[in-house]
Amino acid sequence: MSDSNNKLSATEHIKMKSDGLRGTLKQSLKDELTGALREDDQALIKFHGMYQQDDRDRREERSAKKLEWLYSYMVRLRLPGGFITGEQWEALHHIAGRHSTGVVKITTRQTIQLHGILKSHVKPTLQEFNTAGLDSISACGDVNRNVICGAHPKFSPIHEEIFAYADKLSQLGLPRTKAYYEIWLDEKPLTQEVKEQQEKDPLYQDRYLPRKFKIAIAIPPNNDVDVFANDLGLIAIVENNTLKGFNLVVGGGLGATHGNPNTYPRLGDTLGFLDTEEKVLKAVYEVITIQRDYGNRSDRKLSRIKYTIEKMGVENFKKELEKRCGFALLPEKPYKFNSRSDLFGWHKNHEGKWYYTAFVEAGRVLDDEKLAFKTAFLEVAQTRKANFRFTCNQNLILADIEEKDKKEIDAILRKYDIIAHTDKASVVRKDSIACVAFNTCPLALAEAQRYLPTLITKMEPLLSKYGLEDDNISVRMTGCPNGCGRPYVAEIGFVGTSYGHYNLHLGGDRIGSRLNKVYKESVNEDAILKELDQLLGIYSKERKKNETFGDFAQRLKWVEY
Amino acid sequence: MLAEHKLKVFRELITQSSREELIWMNGFLAGLVAAEAGGDAATTGTAEMPTAARIDKFTILFGTETGNSKKVATEFATQAKKAGFKAKLVGLDQYRLSDLEKEEYAFFVISTQGDGEPPLTAKKFYDHIHKEALKLDKLKYSILALGDTSYPLFCKAGEDVDAQLGKLGAKAVIPVQKCDTDYAADAAAWFAQVMKFLNEGGHTGGTTQAAVKKAKGKKHYKGTILGNVNLNDRGSSKQTHHIEIEAEDDVAYEPGDSLGLIPHNKQETVDNILSLTGADGDTEIEFRNEKLSLREALTRKINIIYLPERVVKQYAATVQQDIPDTRIDLLDLLRIYPVKDAAQFEQVVSVLEPMAPRLYSISSSPEAHGSEIHLTVARDIFHINNELKHGLCSDHLCLLEPGTAIDFHIHKNNQFRLPANDKDVIMIGPGTGIAPFRSFLAERDALGAEGRNWLFFGDQKFTTDFLYQTEIQNWSQTGVLTKVNLAFSRDQASKIYVQHRMLENADELWQWINDGAHIYICGARNPMSNDVENTLLQIIERQGGKTITEAIAYLDAMKDENRYLLDVY
Ligand code: SRM
Ligand SMILES: Cc1cc2nc3c(=O)[nH]c(=O)nc-3n(C[C@H](O)[C@H](O)[C@H](O)COP(=O)(O)OP(=O)(O)OC[C@H]3O[C@@H](n4cnc5c(N)ncnc54)[C@H](O)[C@@H]3O)c2cc1C
Ligand SMILES: Cc1cc2nc3c(=O)[nH]c(=O)nc-3n(C[C@H](O)[C@H](O)[C@H](O)COP(=O)(O)O)c2cc1C
Ligand code: SF4
Repeated sequence: MSDSNNKLSATEHIKMKSDGLRGTLKQSLKDELTGALREDDQALIKFHGMYQQDDRDRREERSAKKLEWLYSYMVRLRLPGGFITGEQWEALHHIAGRHSTGVVKITTRQTIQLHGILKSHVKPTLQEFNTAGLDSISACGDVNRNVICGAHPKFSPIHEEIFAYADKLSQLGLPRTKAYYEIWLDEKPLTQEVKEQQEKDPLYQDRYLPRKFKIAIAIPPNNDVDVFANDLGLIAIVENNTLKGFNLVVGGGLGATHGNPNTYPRLGDTLGFLDTEEKVLKAVYEVITIQRDYGNRSDRKLSRIKYTIEKMGVENFKKELEKRCGFALLPEKPYKFNSRSDLFGWHKNHEGKWYYTAFVEAGRVLDDEKLAFKTAFLEVAQTRKANFRFTCNQNLILADIEEKDKKEIDAILRKYDIIAHTDKASVVRKDSIACVAFNTCPLALAEAQRYLPTLITKMEPLLSKYGLEDDNISVRMTGCPNGCGRPYVAEIGFVGTSYGHYNLHLGGDRIGSRLNKVYKESVNEDAILKELDQLLGIYSKERKKNETFGDFAQRLKWVEY
Repeated sequence: MLAEHKLKVFRELITQSSREELIWMNGFLAGLVAAEAGGDAATTGTAEMPTAARIDKFTILFGTETGNSKKVATEFATQAKKAGFKAKLVGLDQYRLSDLEKEEYAFFVISTQGDGEPPLTAKKFYDHIHKEALKLDKLKYSILALGDTSYPLFCKAGEDVDAQLGKLGAKAVIPVQKCDTDYAADAAAWFAQVMKFLNEGGHTGGTTQAAVKKAKGKKHYKGTILGNVNLNDRGSSKQTHHIEIEAEDDVAYEPGDSLGLIPHNKQETVDNILSLTGADGDTEIEFRNEKLSLREALTRKINIIYLPERVVKQYAATVQQDIPDTRIDLLDLLRIYPVKDAAQFEQVVSVLEPMAPRLYSISSSPEAHGSEIHLTVARDIFHINNELKHGLCSDHLCLLEPGTAIDFHIHKNNQFRLPANDKDVIMIGPGTGIAPFRSFLAERDALGAEGRNWLFFGDQKFTTDFLYQTEIQNWSQTGVLTKVNLAFSRDQASKIYVQHRMLENADELWQWINDGAHIYICGARNPMSNDVENTLLQIIERQGGKTITEAIAYLDAMKDENRYLLDVY
């Protein structure tokens, strides 16, 4: 049914002849001569939650030494809703130490990544994760990715109930192939006929999706998940402490390519309301099948659902969906978002359980000369008195702590200055997001997580100069236009164009319901600081009461809408 | 003066002969004449001369490392056979030691290795004659000692064997003949005397010995460093430098050869020595019949680091202090056991030894790299009572900046050669042992040799120590390398070495060997080359279904056919 009659992209062929995502991975792993995988297998490991990367800082030097690039693997865990137990954090801590750079990276989709894993360490890593009850299946690749969910249980007494959907939807979107278990966990290969029955995949068939697919569940009034930036979003509708259902949002996605006008960030459209779990699951399933059948499979740059829905038209898409579902969508229900920020510090939920949200800059958990995050969290984990939750702002929540245990956890956090660190950080810094970019991301054009902290240090004096210290303007930076740090829905967005240069975006709102626009192209640090100095100056003088920087920028037409 | 027909033959002979052959003939004739002269001298006065029947049964034994002694010995054996002698040619490693006491006439060609040591292949024999109380009264022998005057102990192994055989009652019928690196002429002269002696039925009348001529043959080259890069990545515990040298005029070398050079001592060390002894660096001295300034001698000629015990002994004697038997740097000696004055220091200098050349397997190929010569040098780093020290020459080389001039010579290794293009090759070269194999592979690649190539390489860590990784990858992609096996010892809890990879591939290895593959081992002598050899024996034994004795015989046979070759250090 694939609309495009032009020829399928290379990846499509790789998927179809991959024998259930097995490819030649076993041979690739055996090849002693290189730390890399065969080309086709590099595409396939994504479905197993990994990317082949290399240390881009070391390329030239390695080549001069007649050594191949320093290849390694990034593993991304599948953590629906971004939740793990203290026991699992402890395991994770040690796995990171044994096999990776040691840095535990909290991502903008609420899960964690380990970087720098050598080929020979990949299997041990996944096997040790498995023993800890963790896996990386479908964390990447042309399938349904990590399902994210509003992080902070305080936001709703029925958080548990909503949170459970993350797991159900993740299950619904899992491929049937057992390749992961065969290749990484050394399970006995299935015989051909057993394979044929067991691995028959009505949802993904043998082509999987044309592209990645992302689902988010937002729990108003907080939109920490950036629900409109997802292929599919569910907005929980809660009336007097009962879950009524979800508004269904379809067609969000942020990735774009410099100089390719056919690509652009897009926010999802709300198609309607779903009032039962059965309907929710059915609708989500059928949205995926529509994207499977209508998504562009010849040009991967145009294959996300946002382009599919543009092509079909929102109304037709909705018709097709209702046809496939066999029921009509109800009209969308009202709700209100007022923030995307994390609730830092100590908070108690409706059952009297305690939650501590720690600020983790750019989501990088490590021990450095300034702070011993890893040691602190390990110690917390070892008490077994706290669970761990990750937020889409790349922060960490120590969760579900009993009243009686709060003191003990608090003491650990103080001992390692985590509390002081979180309290001291400016609101702008705490709300900021930076993607990974250099040195591991192959697509990076400019620095992001290694640079934004410095830039913010230079922005802070400007903010205080205009008395804006407490104004949590959302600042986000990415090293390229793919948008991993969701810069297009920030009030101040930096999108890398070349090393040291960024497009400066303005005009996005604070709750993620309006895209920003390019204000200045390819500017370096000096220019950025000069611009911000002026703009913040004007904003501080001329803003209306409670007017956010993003809304102000729009009103003054700093960018065209 | 020659009669027409003789002249004709002589001319033809000359025109048909190679330079080498001419040198040989020249030496041979010289030898004959010298022997004749001696003979006459002996006969004059003595009325009756025993004209015994010629001795036509004798043994030629050789002990070789890089093949020269074998080459010479084989040449002689062939000559002798042509002349109708029953000449038995045996390598000392193959020689049944129990035969020695029965031997009547034996002629030895033996080289010297290391610091005055016998070659590996002669070690068994050397130890045997030194340990066992043998009675060799029957034995009449002579020794041709191959060596190199640039080493402190010139032809030591040959001398030792000569002396020891004497002690055991054997009779040297022709005095030991020592040869420098251009041995052809001296060797021929010695052989001429051997022939005469045998022809005259063992008449030993005062044969004279042609004096050793110092080699002029060893050509010295000049070159400039083109590039010098450490192949090991950050975080490695090793430093292995790939050094590229542009030679001034084209250098005659073949894959398997080594580059030799004499390192320079550090200026500051020399300065310290001079100031410590109050000696004047500019004083003209004579060292090993060469006149030069003291400073120059100490910088370029004399070994002043890690003096051998024999030198320390002589130092002790010279300065008349008692010093324990030990190896030590000259500077430390001078500090702890000072010399009286500058004059005494000059005496000391006279007992010091020349600096031995260092050799580095050439890792480039004439076919592939033209006038460039590449080396693969491990910077030798070691600790002496936890003071960090560096090997003199490797350190010097590894620190050379591009553009620096460098003097060197080529050390031929006639043993360690590629086989015919259609033959299969198994190369086992962990660490810097990879060097000659990079040369082999580049050469075979450039020649389009059809024979299969199998490389075993190993080092400490895959990410930091995989020497020439990208080149090896290319060769295996283009099929030049049929098979590669790697052993990285420190990438897992238990150490894995090349020999383990060999065992894992025992069946296939045996097939290759059985199909006539040539095996080459290069790198550290100990323990690597021993472990690898034992593993090979194991494989030949198990996969080949042989007893251990048969396996050993099998490997010996391979040595004879030049199918099992080592270049270890
Ligand atoms: C880790 C993370 C950024 C972070 O600092 O947290 C990330 C990192 C990468 N993203 Fe992303 N993306 C991450 C969230 C996002 C988001 C934000 C979101 O989903 O809320 C987006 C924008 C939303 C969207 O999908 O449109 C995003 C849009 C992309 C794209 C553009 C996709 C497109 O449709 O154009 C790419 C490039 C691609 O897929 O071809 C990409 C590709 C990548 C890769 C895997 C580069 C690659 O393809 O080789 C990056 C790995 C860098 C590294 O070394 O770790 N990533 N990526 C986030 C991991 C999320 C997760 O746990 O799954
Ligand atoms: C045929 C052949 C081929 C070779 N090919 C290569 C090759 O391709 N690559 C390569 O790297 N090497 C090769 N070598 C080895 C090389 O020739 C040198 O032996 C090596 O580089 C060490 O020499 P050096 O001058 O650096 O160290 P030296 O200064 O000679 O020291 C050598 C050793 O002596 C001892 N020593 C020295 N000074 C002291 C002291 N003061 N106190 C205590 N101990 C001391 C240490 O154990 C030290 O390791 C080859 C050798 C041979 C014979
Ligand atoms: C590592 C090495 C050490 C040597 N040491 C000595 C030595 O101490 N004395 C000497 O006279 N010759 C020495 N030589 C020179 C050899 O004896 C000379 O090259 C000889 O021709 C080698 O003969 P072969 O090929 O039969 O072993 C040494 C050669 C090498 C490669
Ligand atoms: S935004 Fe670009 S640079 Fe940043 S992680 Fe994503 S792909 Fe890499």
